[in-house]
Amino acid sequence: MSALWILLIVLAIAVIGYVLGRGRAMASAGGDIRNLHSLPSYYGFNAALTGLVPALLLMVLWTLGQPLVIERSVAGGLDLAAEATAADRSLLMADVRRVADGLDAAVGQGVLGGDASRALENGDEIRELLGGIGVALGSDVTEDTLRAAQRYRTMSHTGSLAMTILVIAASLGGTALAYRMTTRDFRARNTVERGVLVLLIAAACLAILTTLGIVLSLIFNTVEFFRLYPATDFFFGTTWSPSFGGGSSLGILSLLWGTFYISLIALMVAVPIGLLAAIYLSEYASPLVRSVAKPLLEVLAGIPTIVYGLFALLTVGPLLVDIFGQDGVLGVDWMGGGTAVMTAGLVMGIMLIPFVSSLSDDIINAVPQSMRDGSLGLGATHSETVKQVILPAALPGIVGAILLAASRAIGETMIVVLGAGAAARLSLNPFEAMTTVTAKIVSQLTGDADFSSPEALVAFALGMTLFVITLALNVFALWIVRRYREQYE
Amino acid sequence: MTDASAASAAAPPAVRKSSLHQLDARTKKRNASEARFKAYGLGAVLIGVAFLVALLYAIISNGTPAFTQTFVTVEVPLEPEAVEAAEASFVKTSAYREIIYTALAERLAEAGIETDMGPEELGQILSSSEAGQMREFVLANPDRVGGTVEFRFFASSRVDGYSKGRVTRESLARDNNLSAAHLDLVDRMEAAGIVERSFNWDFIFGADASDSRPEQAGIGVAMLGSLFMMFVVLFLALPIGVAASIYLEEFAPRNRWTDLIEVNISNLAAVPSIVFGILGLAAFIQFGGLPQSAPLVGGLVLTLMTLPTIIISTRASLQSVPPSIRAAALGVGASKMQSVFHHVLPLAMPGILTGTIIGLAQALGETAPLLLIGMVGYIATNYPDGVASGFLDPNSAMPAQIYEWAKRADPAFYERAWGGIIILLLFLMTMNIVAILLRRRFERRW
Amino acid sequence: MDDLRLTERSVDQKEIKISASNVQVYYGETHAIRDVSVEIEDKTVTAFIGPSGCGKSTFLRCINRMNDTIDTARVSGDILIDGEDIYDKRVDPVQLRAKVGMVFQKPNPFPKSIYDNVAYGPRIHGLARNKADLDDIVERALRRGAIWNEVKDRLTAPGTGLSGGQQQRLCIARAVATEPEVLLMDEPCSALDPIATGQVEELIDELRESYSVVIVTHSMQQAARVSQKTAFFHLGNMVEFGETGKIFTNPEDSRTESYISGRIG
Repeated sequence: MSALWILLIVLAIAVIGYVLGRGRAMASAGGDIRNLHSLPSYYGFNAALTGLVPALLLMVLWTLGQPLVIERSVAGGLDLAAEATAADRSLLMADVRRVADGLDAAVGQGVLGGDASRALENGDEIRELLGGIGVALGSDVTEDTLRAAQRYRTMSHTGSLAMTILVIAASLGGTALAYRMTTRDFRARNTVERGVLVLLIAAACLAILTTLGIVLSLIFNTVEFFRLYPATDFFFGTTWSPSFGGGSSLGILSLLWGTFYISLIALMVAVPIGLLAAIYLSEYASPLVRSVAKPLLEVLAGIPTIVYGLFALLTVGPLLVDIFGQDGVLGVDWMGGGTAVMTAGLVMGIMLIPFVSSLSDDIINAVPQSMRDGSLGLGATHSETVKQVILPAALPGIVGAILLAASRAIGETMIVVLGAGAAARLSLNPFEAMTTVTAKIVSQLTGDADFSSPEALVAFALGMTLFVITLALNVFALWIVRRYREQYE
Repeated sequence: MTDASAASAAAPPAVRKSSLHQLDARTKKRNASEARFKAYGLGAVLIGVAFLVALLYAIISNGTPAFTQTFVTVEVPLEPEAVEAAEASFVKTSAYREIIYTALAERLAEAGIETDMGPEELGQILSSSEAGQMREFVLANPDRVGGTVEFRFFASSRVDGYSKGRVTRESLARDNNLSAAHLDLVDRMEAAGIVERSFNWDFIFGADASDSRPEQAGIGVAMLGSLFMMFVVLFLALPIGVAASIYLEEFAPRNRWTDLIEVNISNLAAVPSIVFGILGLAAFIQFGGLPQSAPLVGGLVLTLMTLPTIIISTRASLQSVPPSIRAAALGVGASKMQSVFHHVLPLAMPGILTGTIIGLAQALGETAPLLLIGMVGYIATNYPDGVASGFLDPNSAMPAQIYEWAKRADPAFYERAWGGIIILLLFLMTMNIVAILLRRRFERRW
Repeated sequence: MDDLRLTERSVDQKEIKISASNVQVYYGETHAIRDVSVEIEDKTVTAFIGPSGCGKSTFLRCINRMNDTIDTARVSGDILIDGEDIYDKRVDPVQLRAKVGMVFQKPNPFPKSIYDNVAYGPRIHGLARNKADLDDIVERALRRGAIWNEVKDRLTAPGTGLSGGQQQRLCIARAVATEPEVLLMDEPCSALDPIATGQVEELIDELRESYSVVIVTHSMQQAARVSQKTAFFHLGNMVEFGETGKIFTNPEDSRTESYISGRIG
């Protein structure tokens, strides 16, 4: 039975539970709600929630746990050579799963009867059979694999059946329990409210869970990567040349260099423009200009990064080549192709302008008016006030804003994937193509790479590095900004 | 206060008796620097706006051609024997192709256009999708076999590019798909009304096409992929986000655990989106065993990504409900929970919805995490057969489809990519306008 | 009211420093100051009193054109300083404000060192030829602000680290460092405790020797203690102007009397 059906059945039980619980409460009160401790609907909700929540929880846990248990049990039964590595094992298990899924698909499409599928022998040309229904296998199926696959199928069928029964039983049991407890003096509102509070807390904890998920998924795969590839070579290697055949060198330094170089150019574009624009809009502009220009700049922030990526690849890149390339306006031949550090940096800078300007705007506005008055009252001009009083006062906040922008730039993906090029390079020339950490994460993990080769796993180590750098920047920047705000509150 | 009198005795102030009506040199200099500084600021604003204009200009000028397409109208006789023979042959489409080419040659002769090209060569004017299109029609309408049917075939992308000015006779010199002679022919066919350019609904509603036929590629299926993802995001992120905000804003005690959650949320909001892609790949696909490239997984990843945005904006709108409302509800004997759900939440709802729409818009435009969970490549090829298939079968999403087109070699796909951006931005614009209207409509000043 | 120190004061006629006639101020649609005419003498402390919202601060801010920084404010009428119209087109408010210093309600030291706070004005107006000169100016200003002894050992410490009374005296020192001729004070003691208030009031009395001081105050006692002339504002009108002693003991207008005796405001 599919998960959807189980879900629907449990929901139906909950609805029935609501009606029954409410009805029983009303009956016990003799039809007069004044005799009840809580409003009748609370008795209904109580029955519905006790029928719903534990059953769904059980279902989620079971769905997560079952593959793990089966996997371990089936893998234990595999006849592997003693020197087999974890990678070999996971490859073999992938085969087993594929065969098992293929057989299920065959039964599902009616190519094979249920009994016939169980009676398959190795001589039965399973590869051709599965090929016929669109499940391609890389090699012929061995006896061992087939046996494991059959075992896998049996166990998952039993598991699913057991789950269906248990979940529905839990749902019915919960509803029945709540129904029995329903009397006119039962404190239904308090019980329901406690239950709802638990749900609210669970929702709030999802944020922690997400972070935990990020950290765990990065750590496990990174550790796996460092088992296959030495950590020192990764952190201190300067060449990046992955080849899926093996013998790759995966040094992060040239990627980090590309990342920082592009971010630097982006900040050099975004910070002066964003900051000056924020100063102009908050200190000089008339309300009319402000009400037009501010939303216009903010439109830049709402445009998806893929659009900027395309803009870099197809508009800015060729334009820069026309200026700095061979036969260009300047005739300098500095730029060979449209994808370059300059292209990506410039476009990323444009993307960051509204980010810098709206953060700076907030921060400049947080400087108390009395500070401006004090300076103007001494006969300072407006620009002297801005440069010598407001900016120094706002400096910590602005530094925080710039750090947040830097973290954005370092984590930005689509612009560099499309605009920066693919070659990892340690060079100072901003008109050369370079690549970044994020771009390489995309190129190493897109496609059918299995998660056992260092070439794919390196993406997790790159992700870990990226996560640590941006997290450090964010924490530091948010801390600075918060301290700055407290100063003027 | 002894030092004050000492000071006045020490040095009488050097009073500068100057008229206010005359600017001294220094003031002039300072005023010039003031004007300069103001000009820098204005310049920065103008540069920012100029970038926006340049971006929009690039999008509109490059993208609008994607919405029109060159079509070739040919009347093809569907003779029963020919159709039967075609269906019986091994490569069915090539048999259909021959029928079409012959019909095209006849059409040209009829219109008095002379050419020394053979049918094969002539056929290069058409998209290679023509045979498939005709066969589909025949299979769908067997009763029309025996008559003559007028077909509107896509012209090949080169011909289409010629009518849009992207392809010129010079650029065809090194091209073996089409020659300058074809273009002369196309000019004459256009004059005869055989070739025409018109609005292309297939771009908006169609499926992606393979590398060799950009003229056939459409964004419709990817749009559905995005739609299914948005359903997932809406139905998960909204309730979870609201629940988390209610807890943090209304019930949470001030302690370390709550602080941890809050710091966490503000940091999650700044984690690069690609890291969420890695999380999705490792947690949902590698560990959870969910199918690759499925909109369900994409939706889950985007849910986690948008949650911080929604939580932050929801908390802001909960905060804006004055405490007096809560006090009033508690004062008449409502429980804390009742005061929140009956009074605070309804009042905060417009703000929550605005924040949710903005979060959805952000999710709709996000690309990087989708690439990692495999929603990229030539996969948005078929319409899903139903709701379950819509969530679980491999599909792309609008931004990922645009990325896919941008990566392909044929420049004809670039036009599609820009066109896709126009559609994407129209969606985003609509969502933002709805959000603004909601805010305006329900804005409440306490 | 018998605790007011209405002692004998020198009331001999002095030179007129500021002369305002028919001043009107509008904030958007609101008519904040109606037809105010007043003549303020040099080397005198003039107090503006009145209930809150009566326009006394607004009028004060007209004298160094601080109202220019508010977009919606419009000023008409004439204000002359030493016979020159300060709202003349040729007048640069920057130059005017160097001549007419201002001290605000809340102490507002810049987030800089004590030295830099005081040196700010002289620096922007170019009053010092060299570092020694600037050191001199800062010391003189801090002495005149009656705070030199307290801060002379920590001139590089941030000005925001001082106590409230010290901060306000620092702000006064900052204002006198540009060698103004008029000193405007907008409720300078309202954010201070009684001891700090006493110190600042004493300082104001001393400043009278060199400047024409105009002080807006909420407290009638304060006006009586520090000023020689007092103007009473009510609802945007200047109701009465005269010798402080006369205003407090024998007001001509019934509104002034009601305010003095605590019946309105």
